[in-house]
Amino acid sequence: MIIRVLDPTHELKAAGVQPAERPLSLKGKTVGFISNGKEGTKGYFAQLERMLREDLGVADVIFRTKSNYSAPADAHIIDEARQWHAVVTGVGD
Amino acid sequence: MLRSNRPALSSKTYDVDDFAAAQELFHSNGWTDGLPVVPPTDAAVEACLDWALMPPDQLIGIEPVRAQPITAEKLAVNAVMAGCLPMHFPIVATAWQAMMKEEFLLHGVTSSTGGCAILVIINGPVRLEIGANATFNALGNSDRATSVIGRAIRLALINLMDVRPGGIDRTTLGHPGKFSYCLAEDEEGTDWQPLSVMRGIPQGLSAVTVMAALAPRQIMNEWTTDPKEILETFAAEMRANQRHYSIYGGNYAIVIPKQLRDIIQAAGWTKRDIAEFIYERARVRRGEWADVGKGAIVRDRPNKIHTALESPDHLLVVAAGGPAGGFGAVIPPWMGSKTKAVTAAIGACVDCEPPKG
Repeated sequence: MIIRVLDPTHELKAAGVQPAERPLSLKGKTVGFISNGKEGTKGYFAQLERMLREDLGVADVIFRTKSNYSAPADAHIIDEARQWHAVVTGVGD
Repeated sequence: MLRSNRPALSSKTYDVDDFAAAQELFHSNGWTDGLPVVPPTDAAVEACLDWALMPPDQLIGIEPVRAQPITAEKLAVNAVMAGCLPMHFPIVATAWQAMMKEEFLLHGVTSSTGGCAILVIINGPVRLEIGANATFNALGNSDRATSVIGRAIRLALINLMDVRPGGIDRTTLGHPGKFSYCLAEDEEGTDWQPLSVMRGIPQGLSAVTVMAALAPRQIMNEWTTDPKEILETFAAEMRANQRHYSIYGGNYAIVIPKQLRDIIQAAGWTKRDIAEFIYERARVRRGEWADVGKGAIVRDRPNKIHTALESPDHLLVVAAGGPAGGFGAVIPPWMGSKTKAVTAAIGACVDCEPPKG
């Protein structure tokens, strides 16, 4: 006997967002790092800063840390990030 | 009647040959927790919605971090899959409303490497209506109602929030409560106020409390009739969790079964008395971390005191468990105070305007 069942998933497509314009070069630019504050981020971001400065000519690297590693970045960090040319974020554990 | 007026369900449908084919469809798409599911048919889902007097598109809530809307229809589909009867559905829906409160931090709770599950504690008359058993084998498939309600929470996380292992769920080590983690309070077996009343819900209303919780840690003390000695054992287990897992304070739950509960009650202790005693006793010096291999993070604060509870109000004292045995359980929180337990009344409109005039 045929059984008709319902899809249990949200069936929603990912919300459409407009990506920021990508810089063609990072030379002379400002790059921000948003860390979740965990130990594992320290070495990773330090090495990444060296690579950005030495290999790609980044002028300035700004470090910011979220107040709660399990929640989105604080509003003041998001506001500040609008002044940066690029942002690196993600999970470091 | 509601049925004739209710808008049609809008979920995509699939036709399968039989029960076994339904299982393979759901398992192969990653729509289950690994156990068989009840095929969610139109009739079963509509029965849940009718019981709760909810149209399919009723918004249960919006998850605040990812802005994911949760509708009654989709929640009911997952409740049916978990084995819920229509009378279980309002409890599932209320638990989800509570989980989507900002202070619960659902996204962090379900995506963290620090594996926790969502514990649901049921209070009020609805426990009796659904046949929830708060005594023998509480916390471990003690009855149909708590088993399927707890499972519905997890299945809905999988399917409505993409909380699948390796996807949104980045948990290093889970625990069996991630299949189902639900218990009812033994209100008939105690003189203490129900947990929901302690947390501000009027007496006589049914309610659920949700908490981001690690696995229960059992204690045993059958060798005293002194409430302080019994509660010291609970506090010691909390201190152990502070030393071995997370030192930071948050919502802990303690489950006190009848044998120990009768002793504490007979001595005149209330839940508030218990919480104040535990608050004073469940605390460690940061330097104790050095005793358990974590000396590297003591730093320059060895004498700093960390309390397991930010205040006595943060302890959830639950009367539950079988009638015999000097056992109890401590249920630690996920990562201190980053998440808060939330209590919500079932069937009460939390966002309604007060009546005019």
